[in-house]
Amino acid sequence: MLSRRDLLVIPLAFATLGIGAVRAGQSGTDAKSFIENLGAEAVEALTGPDLPQDERERRFSAMLNRYFDLPGIGKFVLGRYWRSASEAERQDFLRLFEDFIVKSYAARFAEYSGEQFRVLGVRNEGDYATVQSLVIRPGAEDVRVDWRLRDADGLKIIDIMVEGVSMVITQRADFASVIQSRGGVAGLLDMLRQKTSS
Amino acid sequence: MSLRRSFDIACVCLAAMLAAGCATKPVDPELQAAYEEANDPLEPMNRYFFEVNYALDELLLKPAAGWYYTALPNPVQDGIRNFLRNLRSPVILANDLFQGEMDRAGDTIGRFAINSTIGLLGLFDVAAELGMPFHDEDFGQTLAVASVGEGPYLVIPLLGPSNPRDLTGRIVDFLIDPLDYLVQDDAFSYGRGATEGIDTRARNLKTLDEIRASSIDYYATMRSLYRQRRNAEIRNGQSDSDAFPGVTFEEDFDFEAN
Repeated sequence: MLSRRDLLVIPLAFATLGIGAVRAGQSGTDAKSFIENLGAEAVEALTGPDLPQDERERRFSAMLNRYFDLPGIGKFVLGRYWRSASEAERQDFLRLFEDFIVKSYAARFAEYSGEQFRVLGVRNEGDYATVQSLVIRPGAEDVRVDWRLRDADGLKIIDIMVEGVSMVITQRADFASVIQSRGGVAGLLDMLRQKTSS
Repeated sequence: MSLRRSFDIACVCLAAMLAAGCATKPVDPELQAAYEEANDPLEPMNRYFFEVNYALDELLLKPAAGWYYTALPNPVQDGIRNFLRNLRSPVILANDLFQGEMDRAGDTIGRFAINSTIGLLGLFDVAAELGMPFHDEDFGQTLAVASVGEGPYLVIPLLGPSNPRDLTGRIVDFLIDPLDYLVQDDAFSYGRGATEGIDTRARNLKTLDEIRASSIDYYATMRSLYRQRRNAEIRNGQSDSDAFPGVTFEEDFDFEAN
């Protein structure tokens, strides 16, 4: 069963490499190839233990901006506090939030050990699409990962759901708690500065 | 069966209620909305038990799980988990039936029959290969399906994140589990509980480290993860089309457009 999946996944993922920029969503196949491109590019550009960490982070950051609606995610994550934040705080936050994601996640690609993902299906709802996928890990259980995309001047990822858990909702809960305990958005910015400078 | 275990749980709950230092409700409307969203009026106490559990985990559970993970070959770990899951079959079946999930109840019966025999007392999950994959159910989920609300967030000493609904579910599952009545041996009950704990922890070694590293407030992150994960389990893996209704999504993403 596993070997059949591998056979299916590998050519699928790599066949889509080099197709280039995905045009604004015309149908579900675009969302599907968008995610497949992302997977192939991530494996190609980010993995490997020999890649220097700063180069890995630079590439990760470039992909993050190309595939994800970072300003949109940032606003969602700051939630109700976005409104009350000053313009300077908003800009600070978006910049620090990106750094925080890069610092938190880029290093994980160094430990890549052959995970592949297989797209199971696509669901379209107006400007939104959900690409359902299964991450197949050697020697561990498969993980269900759903990618939420929005089409506004081109497809961008707005959320990743891992086994039903939304990463943006989780991040929002984390930041909301920090804002409450540290007396406002400025407190969160301080924490983010600390986390990203180390 | 071990009445002591349920008695312990009851004592803990009572002590928790009595010792509860309640969080004060904020006056500011923004903060008040956040307070209600967190649904965690016992936060100071919960944070305290969260720290206690974290320390116990670092001292005992994590090292044991680390040993389990490195010392035992993968097939042995899978065998242990398959065996433990098979033992859970009666409780899962009862909850399948309580929730009126007849197809899933059929799966649970089929799995138990096949895995207990061909699967050598449950060590091998033959049924999964035959198109009957494992699914879990518990009485907390049954209550949720019956529209019982979760109540405020709770962190239970030793057991971790919960809420009154899920804690009740745990106690009911424990009471309806026929195995404890059949075996009548405390050592079996504790051994089973401990092995389940270690096996589960071993499968989450890396994940929990990563979550801790990538969060600022680990407690708040775990609280959100617990709720979301439980809701996904209650939906039985069906994606939640209401999780992001277009309206709130747009509102949250495009404040300036409003």
